[in-house]
Amino acid sequence: MKNPVIAASGTFGFGIEYEEYFDPTILGGVSSKGLTLRPSRGNAGIRVWETPMGMLNSIGLENPGVEHFVSHEALEMRKLGCAVIANLGGHSEEDYVTGAEMLNGCDIDILELNISCPNVKSGGMAFGTDPDQAADITSKVKAVTRHPLMVKLTPNAGDIVAVARACEEAGADGLSLINTVLGMAIDVRAEKAVFNNVYAGLSGPAIMPIALRMVHQVAHAVSIPVSGLGGISTAEDAIAFIMAGASTVQVGATTFRDPMAMVNIIKGLEEYAEKKSLKNIQDIRGIV
Amino acid sequence: MALIIDNKKLTDGIYLMRVSSNIQAPRPGQFVMLRPEGDGLFLARPISVMDWENGVWTFLYKVVGKGTEAMSRLESRDDIFMFGPMGNGFGRVLPLEKIRKAVLIGGGMGIAPMYGLAKALRKTGAHVKIHLGFTDEPILRKEFSDVADELVINVGGYVTDDVRFEQGPVYFACGPDPMMKAAARKAREAGAELIVSLESRMACGMGACLGCTIDTTKGSKRVCKDGPCFRYEEVTGLGK
Ligand SMILES: Cc1cc2nc3c(=O)[nH]c(=O)nc-3n(C[C@H](O)[C@H](O)[C@H](O)COP(=O)(O)OP(=O)(O)OC[C@H]3O[C@@H](n4cnc5c(N)ncnc54)[C@H](O)[C@@H]3O)c2cc1C
Ligand SMILES: Cc1cc2nc3c(=O)[nH]c(=O)nc-3n(C[C@H](O)[C@H](O)[C@H](O)COP(=O)(O)O)c2cc1C
Ligand code: FES
Repeated sequence: MKNPVIAASGTFGFGIEYEEYFDPTILGGVSSKGLTLRPSRGNAGIRVWETPMGMLNSIGLENPGVEHFVSHEALEMRKLGCAVIANLGGHSEEDYVTGAEMLNGCDIDILELNISCPNVKSGGMAFGTDPDQAADITSKVKAVTRHPLMVKLTPNAGDIVAVARACEEAGADGLSLINTVLGMAIDVRAEKAVFNNVYAGLSGPAIMPIALRMVHQVAHAVSIPVSGLGGISTAEDAIAFIMAGASTVQVGATTFRDPMAMVNIIKGLEEYAEKKSLKNIQDIRGIV
Repeated sequence: MALIIDNKKLTDGIYLMRVSSNIQAPRPGQFVMLRPEGDGLFLARPISVMDWENGVWTFLYKVVGKGTEAMSRLESRDDIFMFGPMGNGFGRVLPLEKIRKAVLIGGGMGIAPMYGLAKALRKTGAHVKIHLGFTDEPILRKEFSDVADELVINVGGYVTDDVRFEQGPVYFACGPDPMMKAAARKAREAGAELIVSLESRMACGMGACLGCTIDTTKGSKRVCKDGPCFRYEEVTGLGK
């Protein structure tokens, strides 16, 4: 990758939505919208809600399905000129394994296993909260995939370090964290929950301190690369994640706030490396 | 980044804001994303372009919450974060040059996109009738009469009650839900051609987050990117 900045899954479509603003070629990578075996319409009702310096979402993995991705979006993403990451979600073990097998048929750089989506009724995050289940699914997907496997962890696990270790032992080539934090909003006037699913996923700067702490804990507990995310909105935030031990960083909801945020983060990282006379930004990895 | 030229209160809670920015010129029916700086707002707000002339953008908005409240406090020469223009615009649903006679129906803040549309239609020589609906005080009467061949204003009632739907003219509607439903029902009964501009909660405004999707006869569509302008027949809840 030409730099460590990746567009986070679900916040950058399939990589072409922001082309009017900047050339995605400058990015280190793009992670696709979360894919499921079959096409999914996602959740009904309100799907996004602003919170203090953040947002809740309950999109529910609306996507065209793995098959369509392999024959369409994956080909488009390959043209982006940066690392292509396919983010795969699922409702059951078979979903994940079959999905991973089908993704062997396309040219991607990394398979990101999303065992951390809080917005689907069955499966999703359930696989990421328990170390045994996380290990089980990781090893089964690892056994079939031909792509490097990065497992995306949820902050809603009781012990994220235990889940991280379990995934490493089960054969994960890398980890990404964190997915959204389970939250809630109530429409006080209507006296009911804002989201049909009641709970939804919180992201944005509001969750950054939690994400940073978890990346720090996990990066110190495993020896595979960690991709850090959660609330990153400036180059300084990205540097903090690298200092905490992240090899790459992902930017999610901040892109909604400012379409040029990733461009500025990449520029800021280059300027920082130059100012500190670093040959490589990785030289500061894990120094805290 | 954009600069506030002026931000005038028209009536209780309703403001007309002019902004200077050299971003790409809009097509009628497009919107921008606006975020007042320094108020702890995370997301930008979708606001329709009412008018555009040489880099001067005019917006009409109503204070309904945190974001529009912060907007109302902006003064001339303040900065506002702005990106866009977004969306398809009316002309991507139906080429405007082909329209000979148009009837534009706006309710509440839904009157804003009708202004730019009327201006564009008049330029192509179309006959433009505008119906505006207000709950209490009418606003911008003079401005709208300048861009209309006929202007009908309804205060306190249903604006659609004044509109005769028939085959021939193209009808455009933007406004609150009940108004849109009434317009769709009347268009269907008359077999009239109706294009609607819809609202939905948005995060990115770019087509990336899928926060704004609606069900249509052609599957799930993003209001921000595939819309906000649609043929009413396509929209689930309006079409059938
Ligand atoms: C395409 C489009 C064009 C619009 N054009 C105009 C216009 O010209 N003038 C005008 O006054 N209003 C317009 N609106 C509605 C306007 O976006 C909302 O009133 C505004 O976002 C409310 O923000 P707030 O912070 O004041 O309210 P809050 O309720 O505090 O907002 C909280 C969150 O909900 C979102 N939200 C709340 N109400 C709406 C709504 N009705 N539609 C979309 N998002 C909403 C906000 O953007 C914000 O993210 C338009 C909406 C859309 C989708
Ligand atoms: C609208 C939205 C949709 C998302 N969709 C996905 C998804 O499909 N798959 C996934 O792994 N993560 C998804 N996420 C989570 C983000 O990739 C990221 O992990 C999380 O938002 C934290 O990062 P941030 O604070 O920078 O947004 C989504 C987040 C948002 C805001
Ligand atoms: S607001 Fe993000 S896709 Fe429409």
